[in-house]
Amino acid sequence: MSGRVIVITSGKGGVGKTTTNANIGTALARAGKKVVMIDTDLGLRNLDLLLGLENRIVYTIVDVVEERCKLKQALVKDKKNPNLCLLAAAQTRDKTAVTEDQLKKICEELQKDFDFILVDCPAGIEQGFQNAVAGASEAIVVTTPEMSAVRDADRIIGLLEAKEEIKSYRLLLNRVRPNLIKSNDMMSVEDVVEILSAQLIGIIPEDTGIITSTNKGDPIVNDEKSLAGRAYNNVAKRIIGEEVPFLNLEEDTGVLAKVKKFFSGLVGKEK
Amino acid sequence: MKDIFTGIFSKVFGFFSKAEKQDESAKDVAVNRLRVVLMQDRTNLTPELLEKMRGELIELLSKYVEMDKEALELNFEQEGDQMALMLSIPVLRAKEEDEIEAEENEDDENSEEVDDDTEDETDESEENEDDDEQVSEEKNSNTK
Repeated sequence: MSGRVIVITSGKGGVGKTTTNANIGTALARAGKKVVMIDTDLGLRNLDLLLGLENRIVYTIVDVVEERCKLKQALVKDKKNPNLCLLAAAQTRDKTAVTEDQLKKICEELQKDFDFILVDCPAGIEQGFQNAVAGASEAIVVTTPEMSAVRDADRIIGLLEAKEEIKSYRLLLNRVRPNLIKSNDMMSVEDVVEILSAQLIGIIPEDTGIITSTNKGDPIVNDEKSLAGRAYNNVAKRIIGEEVPFLNLEEDTGVLAKVKKFFSGLVGKEK
Repeated sequence: MKDIFTGIFSKVFGFFSKAEKQDESAKDVAVNRLRVVLMQDRTNLTPELLEKMRGELIELLSKYVEMDKEALELNFEQEGDQMALMLSIPVLRAKEEDEIEAEENEDDENSEEVDDDTEDETDESEENEDDDEQVSEEKNSNTK
């Protein structure tokens, strides 16, 4: 087996890299794939929290690199899904504790046992980014329809294009707000795609469910009713190679839409 | 009935007049600002360099044409993957050949002074055009 190594990156912080990582990883595992997630954000680890695994971490990636444990010992299995593992970042160390070569080696070793290795990249374009990208051959660039996030994504795309190892990258547009786009207050999906001239892999709507799912340590893809969860599931399918149309985000938005839906439901029943 | 019609009329009229009056939407502003800033990021061409280029282009072009210098536009534009530097020059009139020659001679005379303080380079050349030589020389001595 030779798994695919995908780095999830964004440049700007707070656009939803780690949330994306947790959800795509969980969705891929739910689809029967063997998945391992690597948190490379040394000193600022969060992926464990989003997965609800914070209390199970014994060893971290730094322990592996400094040979205090075997790689397999450091992998934390997900509570719900045995296909899903996490290699946590060390919280007490900084970005210099792991080198590009060491990360590359870890990825190569994990490729033997897993279908997908998802690398959660820290914000910024410094060494942390270079490390995270080192072992990957594909990238997902996460951005939001905000100017600063798009600008940073452009910078990241430039850096990715300069890397020979990165064979392909695709854009994930997060926190999309259809109401604001409709009123011309927010850049549309088309605007962002045109500006960055990148291929799109997913459109995720802004969803308050993300907050509650983070609080519970249970990725939103596990909630089949959630629109964001469905959107993330579709991203996972596209990664596997299925052709899935983009969700119509207009549904489920706003009170008015719900009222309309309710009434159209009533009319439907009468007939 | 009449009320309904006037109501519809004012709504329709209101819609059109609104559309006309309305400034650019927040989205359009964002897209345009981003385009400019990304061009600068991608090409490493800073606003200062662009301004310098603008100044030098004005200097060069005004040798041959009389133009509205304030309205000259130098901008990046994107079409698909292609990036282009678009220069829009509002030409008032083309200059006569002897005018061009006269200015070339003038430039030769002034060249030493212009080299002294490069900051005022564009200002001076603009003034050289409008005013006669004596006035511009006075200004030079003032700035020194």
